[in-house]
Amino acid sequence: MNADKKIIRIATDVLVIGGGTAGVAAANEVAGKGYKVVLTSKEDKVAQETKNGVIADMVAKAEANADIEIMKNTVVAKVMGVPGDFAVTLKTGDKAVERKFGAIVVATGLTTKVLNDAYGLELGPKVISQSQLEALLAQGKLESGKTVAFLVGFGQDGNPLVMERVLDSLTALGKVAETDAYVFVGDIKLAADGLDQLYAQARQEGVIYFKTTDAPKVSVDGDAMCISILDPVLRQQVEVAPDLIVVEEAILADEDNAALAEPLQIEADKNGFLQPDNVHYFPVKSTRLGIFVAGAARDLLSVEQGIQDAGNVALEVKKFLGDGNLEVPSNTAFVDVDKCTVCLTCYRCCPHGAIFWDSRAIIAEAACQGCGICASECPNDAIQLGDYADEAMAKAIQDGQGTSGKSPWIVAFCCKNSGLEAVNMAKTFGYRVPAGLQAIEVPCAGKIDMDYVMDAFVQGADGVMLLTCHNGNCKSDKGALYASWRAAEIKKMLASVGLPEDRLVCASLANNMGRKFSEISVEMERSIKKASS
Amino acid sequence: MTDKPKKALVIGGGIAGLTAAWELAQSQVDVELVEKGPFLGGHSISYCCKATDECVKCGACSVDKMLAQVVNEPRIQVSLGATVAKVDQSGKFTASLELAPAYIDPAKCDNCGACFQEFRNTGAIVRGYSKNNSPLYALCPKAAKEVDAAKLAKICPKGAINLEAKATKKKVSADTVIVATGFTPFDAAKKPTYGYGVRDNVITGMELEALIRQKGEVVRPTDLNPPAKTAFIQCVGSRDARLGNLWCSQVCCAYGLRMARKIKYANPEAEVKIFYMDIQSVGKNFPAFYTQCKEQLGFIRNIPVDVYPEEEGRMRISYADEETGARKDEIFDLLVLSIGITPGEDNAKIADMFSLEQDGDGFLVQKGEGVFLAGTAAGPKNIPASMAQAGFAASEALKYIGVTK
Ligand SMILES: Cc1cc2nc3c(=O)[nH]c(=O)nc-3n(C[C@H](O)[C@H](O)[C@H](O)COP(=O)(O)OP(=O)(O)OC[C@H]3O[C@@H](n4cnc5c(N)ncnc54)[C@H](O)[C@@H]3O)c2cc1C
Ligand code: SF4
Ligand code: SF4
Ligand code: SF4
Repeated sequence: MNADKKIIRIATDVLVIGGGTAGVAAANEVAGKGYKVVLTSKEDKVAQETKNGVIADMVAKAEANADIEIMKNTVVAKVMGVPGDFAVTLKTGDKAVERKFGAIVVATGLTTKVLNDAYGLELGPKVISQSQLEALLAQGKLESGKTVAFLVGFGQDGNPLVMERVLDSLTALGKVAETDAYVFVGDIKLAADGLDQLYAQARQEGVIYFKTTDAPKVSVDGDAMCISILDPVLRQQVEVAPDLIVVEEAILADEDNAALAEPLQIEADKNGFLQPDNVHYFPVKSTRLGIFVAGAARDLLSVEQGIQDAGNVALEVKKFLGDGNLEVPSNTAFVDVDKCTVCLTCYRCCPHGAIFWDSRAIIAEAACQGCGICASECPNDAIQLGDYADEAMAKAIQDGQGTSGKSPWIVAFCCKNSGLEAVNMAKTFGYRVPAGLQAIEVPCAGKIDMDYVMDAFVQGADGVMLLTCHNGNCKSDKGALYASWRAAEIKKMLASVGLPEDRLVCASLANNMGRKFSEISVEMERSIKKASS
Repeated sequence: MTDKPKKALVIGGGIAGLTAAWELAQSQVDVELVEKGPFLGGHSISYCCKATDECVKCGACSVDKMLAQVVNEPRIQVSLGATVAKVDQSGKFTASLELAPAYIDPAKCDNCGACFQEFRNTGAIVRGYSKNNSPLYALCPKAAKEVDAAKLAKICPKGAINLEAKATKKKVSADTVIVATGFTPFDAAKKPTYGYGVRDNVITGMELEALIRQKGEVVRPTDLNPPAKTAFIQCVGSRDARLGNLWCSQVCCAYGLRMARKIKYANPEAEVKIFYMDIQSVGKNFPAFYTQCKEQLGFIRNIPVDVYPEEEGRMRISYADEETGARKDEIFDLLVLSIGITPGEDNAKIADMFSLEQDGDGFLVQKGEGVFLAGTAAGPKNIPASMAQAGFAASEALKYIGVTK
């Protein structure tokens, strides 16, 4: 281990991308910690109006803050450099400037899509979108005495944000004289504060809900519209002839996200939000150090949740930037230039965007998260990881052989986030664990080299375990996958030298699965003993 | 730099309180973390991993992770078995804490578990759910009255057990307060027709969580066999106007479906049915998740009212068939009641003590200066949302006490 600490200087200005509520709030909070902030908005303004006027206050505060520079009509054109030292090209119209930032906060917004196609409807004067209805209501332009029908939850699964808009409109409609409202709905998504009450309130005020699993039939014949459905309660066909049909809208991730994810080198989820679906990133981390995601940039979140995120972003930015003197952790990877053949394997496999390349591979100390995947994947063994260098690992295996003495000898390479915790839980709680078990810590299952496993067998281990996180729970995304691929390779090799394949077990565990670890390790011990008796 | 560090009082050691305490400590604030129970972690420390062939993002493992960080953080002082009896709020907060007797002396106990081995069946010695708690064991005064006191007093080889221990008091002064006192799980006995507390194979979602965590699989309480047929009834105690609980608990569709799939994954032959009103979105990839659920589980859009006993500890559930509306009966081996989140039992007391308000449902509402709310004390939410709110509360508290840099 490295005894003396290495300090590097990093930039401390912070870029906040996105002038919505979460972005403005994040700018305020980060500036409140004493950092200089550049806040960009792709539009001519920052922050839209919302239900509850807090926003105007926040914008005024940001505008008045000398540490916050607001750049409107501005987009991110290019991002170079590494965490602690980003060089970002910002484009305002034709004018481009390059600025240095230590950290970046992404606070892009949401977009909507009208789902009329899902109902085979065309928008027109009598078939309108949720947004159009909201505009009519806001302007007081909806005539009284109408029958309004909402279609929601059949074009999409929906979520509370979608439902809240419908419920708010129902409340507003209640104030328009002699309106009859019908809501045709799949699942009512009420998992947010206050929605069940709004739902019940509207029902009390005469709104009629038809909850069905199948979508209703909607027919439009000139001016005559008809919606029919099998009422699940009355068990009969019901027909409603509305004057106005309101079609649901999907709420989706910002279209700009994909274009940002690439230069920022961060992972997006399947729906285009900029935070992977992985609990280790809660609440506002991205896959890359120094880049944080707030509000709707990371998930379908409400305005209030976006403001909460801003507070969390400020905490994270401060933890990362500090006073600009960054202490390099002992556990970072480094490349031996003499061995590196510039194959770029490491650059491709680093899950945290920590490797860049300047006629050879360079690992940015401020960006490396110490998973060791690069070290294990490098075909030339040119990369070593601080606390888990090959020599140290070899020694750990050897030491185990000397001290265990118990048979069978089982070497378990354990991810420290999951497997190792489960092993320790089993031991602490007195669950059965093989006497000859030797647990060896690795920072991530992606650091379990094939060489280590073979080494353990060569040293005389009777069995080897690879204990990984569950897929989708690996802090470094693919560490568990790498481990399982390598295990499959090794099993082939074992077969070729005549060792039974159950001598190698690759299992995924969560840190709370001590019981499961006990079961699989005892089972392994049993089968080894059986084979040797 | 020589300023005396600021101090925060965090009340409640669930995931919200742990997260707030941790974040404050990261900003060099000293923290007094006050937990009423004998262990840290709150309700969610008993939850199981719900992964199938992949993680389903339930967040249970995040609680263990945070707990480990907190107990290893020297800036956080933990008081277990402690409540705030009184607060004086002149400028600073001065809290009078009452601490339950330390029957197991944490300074002497080395977590060997001898007491637990001997007395676990009596309930006199209980073990927490996380290996990161210290001590790992606690003495339950009520159950301890029923056992051989002399034997209990002498069982510990380190002499850590002291049955004569007395309650103590302690004064703590703090610059800011975070209230993270959590929720009360709905008491399923308040829906008597489901037979909870009467029939052994009717359990709550909370009990199923702990069962899977401890046993690694789902078994029926009566015969310890894996159930061939399991039913989940959703919205038990939530969205129920008659009970006055007119809110969606926001977590029970998620944990119900995830555990239902876990049962099915462990035993593909098993049949699992979900009785529900509306399925709430679960996680980021809900459409894909829900498609899998629909392939593997039975969904019945009807909340049954009556549950009847059958032979061998089974239950017959009658409900209205979705297609025909006719009454239908079905027999299950295990019934899981997806209970919801109700306001914390101390909310009125806490509101009074810190001049907070309660909303119409009884959850706490932010008010006044220097006191911040985190987690389910302020309304139903899941683990990630509790963590996010706790971080926010910490960030607001830091601003209040003037810790910026
Ligand atoms: C059955 C069930 C299953 C769930 N499963 C999941 C799941 O899988 N994933 C998920 O994300 N969420 C789940 N949830 C939600 C989850 O339980 C909550 O989000 C989480 O526990 C909230 O944490 P908390 O800290 O706010 O409250 P709690 O967990 O209730 O913790 C509060 C703590 O404060 C202490 N306390 C209370 N009053 C006082 C006082 N006066 N003084 C001192 N201390 C006090 C309590 O002893 C407790 O330790 C589930 C909920 C239920 C009911
Ligand atoms: S150790 Fe992990 S984070 Fe660091 S450079 Fe290698 S792959 Fe990237
Ligand atoms: S399923 Fe839950 S406990 Fe298991 S690894 Fe995923 S988040 Fe953690
Ligand atoms: S989350 Fe699901 S089960 Fe829980 S109250 Fe809401 S709708 Fe009912």
